[in-house]
Amino acid sequence: MERKQVHIARPPEAYDAIVVGSGIAGGWAAKELCEHGLRTLVLERGGPVAHGTDYVTEHDPPWSFPHRGRLDPRLLDEHYFIQQRTGFLDETNLHFFFRDSESPYVEERPFTWVRGHQVGGKSLMWGRYTFRISDLDFVANAREGIGVDWPIRYADIEPWYTYVERFAGISGEPLGLSHLPDGAFQKPIPLNVVELDLRRRIEAEYPERRLTIARAAVLTEPLPGRQPCHYCGPCWRGCSTGSYFSSQSSTLPAAVATGNLTLRPLSVVHSIIYDERRDRATGVRVVDAETGETREYAAPLIFLCASTLGSTHVLLNSRSPRFPEGLGGSSDALGRNLMDHHFYAGAHGEVEGFRDRYAYGNRPVGFYIPRYRNISAETQMETFLRGYGIEGEAFRPSWGRGTELPGFGAGFKAQLRDPGPWQVWMTAFGETLPRPENRVRLDPERVDTFGIPQLRVHCTWGENELAMRKDMAASAAEMLERCRLRQVEPYDRYVEGALGAEPGLGIHEMGTARMGRDPRTSVLNAFNQVWDAPNVFVTDGACMVSSPCQNPSLTYMALTARAVDHAVAELKRGNL
Amino acid sequence: MNRRDAVQRIALVLGAAVTPKVARAVEAGFTTPAPGLALRSLTRAQAELVATLCEHIIPATDTPGARAARVDAFIDALLADIFTAEERERFVASLADVDARARAAAGTTFLECATPQQVAILVGLERDAQSAGVGEAPFFPWLKELTLVGYYTSEVGATEELRYLHVAGRYDGDVPYEQVGRAYS
Repeated sequence: MERKQVHIARPPEAYDAIVVGSGIAGGWAAKELCEHGLRTLVLERGGPVAHGTDYVTEHDPPWSFPHRGRLDPRLLDEHYFIQQRTGFLDETNLHFFFRDSESPYVEERPFTWVRGHQVGGKSLMWGRYTFRISDLDFVANAREGIGVDWPIRYADIEPWYTYVERFAGISGEPLGLSHLPDGAFQKPIPLNVVELDLRRRIEAEYPERRLTIARAAVLTEPLPGRQPCHYCGPCWRGCSTGSYFSSQSSTLPAAVATGNLTLRPLSVVHSIIYDERRDRATGVRVVDAETGETREYAAPLIFLCASTLGSTHVLLNSRSPRFPEGLGGSSDALGRNLMDHHFYAGAHGEVEGFRDRYAYGNRPVGFYIPRYRNISAETQMETFLRGYGIEGEAFRPSWGRGTELPGFGAGFKAQLRDPGPWQVWMTAFGETLPRPENRVRLDPERVDTFGIPQLRVHCTWGENELAMRKDMAASAAEMLERCRLRQVEPYDRYVEGALGAEPGLGIHEMGTARMGRDPRTSVLNAFNQVWDAPNVFVTDGACMVSSPCQNPSLTYMALTARAVDHAVAELKRGNL
Repeated sequence: MNRRDAVQRIALVLGAAVTPKVARAVEAGFTTPAPGLALRSLTRAQAELVATLCEHIIPATDTPGARAARVDAFIDALLADIFTAEERERFVASLADVDARARAAAGTTFLECATPQQVAILVGLERDAQSAGVGEAPFFPWLKELTLVGYYTSEVGATEELRYLHVAGRYDGDVPYEQVGRAYS
């Protein structure tokens, strides 16, 4: 007898809150919501990564890799055609990078979208530099008449920076600069002998410039369950001692400890469900990455923390009769004003002397020169607005320089036994202005393997960025010359219309669902609530109104914690 | 530094907090599979030629050289898994060219040449590479780079010829070089 198929509509699983994404922002949302007693579901599109046990290459020496790091270019071309542009992928870390073939996107102009495809997201292989942004940044748009005004000022976020810094563990040196505010720092990682000398020379030549060790989410003092850095070197393979901040080392364990967390990996969020009668989002639609099955989850509170373009992608795809352009799309701002930091412009040179000095340990960070352009009347530039910070390092090259030395044999081998002369490398990271023509949309035809419309990205550098880049290279070279380095060479990898220093490569993509004061020109309010659906919050890089040159992740942490605090208060007041 | 030293060292670094996982990871680093004897791409004769060429680039001195580091096996693995068919053909053709040069110079194969003749052939290869035009991919710099990577990332090259920092435990940005005496790999 044929069995009759009976379809029983199951009510969706219900939670107090849903968080989409488990990276830096999602981990923070999960921790804060769970600690407030909300039963929280975290949805992650990638697979599970267990702290420690899944850092499978963590302390493996180079000779344990059969190809000493090299990967099959055919594999890269077939599955990692975007991710490989970073130059970061190798035999030691491939498992932490997104397979582009699973969910490709359309590039109208070169735009490199780097994605973290696992629990923990990009927090596992991020750069770990953490700086506050200041009122110089928060007022810039309004003062210059660019984009829209930030709806918050430094005073609004300051206590939240301190709050997240204490938990994340940020090492660094206080400098007393108003445009790069100090934080709740652990003791700084040391500069090396040549960097200290460079610092003295720079500060003597340029009174407005400082050189410091990069402020970073790398511990120099223990925190509960986490050890100080042991200077092994390759942070991006994962860190089982929890010495750098990741969702695995920090926020997810705190969320788990409350008993309120449910984490579902391999859950690709398709869209947000909106109930027109109640004027609220009611849950999310999810495609199971393994089975392709569609599921729904319900919650009165939804945090989108799926990365800048990931979150905007979900909003754009949350189309309903009420919001045909996507949730948050009732203003034209959704998808627009995509920004990144433009970089790979700077200079390098060789240091005279110090041949009898060396450094011990593989340091996880380099030095940082805070922004020194357009910070005062004296530093005003004619050719561009805003500014850049410089990341750099002094080091002695090892055997790798052998490819550039002539000869072979015993004498050649003896030459490589000693390290080469000290080098200094500087790379500037510059702010980009918000421009509405830099935007993402849903492609009208193409879909990914989950049936979700692909993103279509259009992003280019504007005149301000290109003018700033000239100064980034020239100014870095001038600094090195005046500090009496030899063989100083400026560089700029940008090639118009091609790969090299294209947008996205900075992996600091920001904007496309900006905060603002006016629902007609912004997607989110001052507490990261979607104007169209106040029980939906977006707290990752999508919310950024401008792109201050400081590395942005710390700001996402602070905004997320602040938004959860507001959401919980609003829930209690019955406003959500 | 052997594996026990390494585990003890990381235990010192981390105090009582050293977990079995960390210890295992550190130990795993020192469990190196024996160099595979089975060649996957090169013939035995070609592998011998590669080993001999690489040994000329990084010879045994007071530390072992490229041959002992099994750079030939590393290159064989790249040929089998990483190189494109075109690169593989070009590499093998370049090996044949080495023998052709030996025949022209000494009437015999490269391996049968006396050592000074072998060196002279390599000097010639390096000289030709220096005058190579744009877009050409001469053999000598390619082989030299493969030798350097294969040697200095091997256990011998990284830990005996140079100093290998497995888990440093601390950072000191100003140490007298004479205390270290060699570059870190």
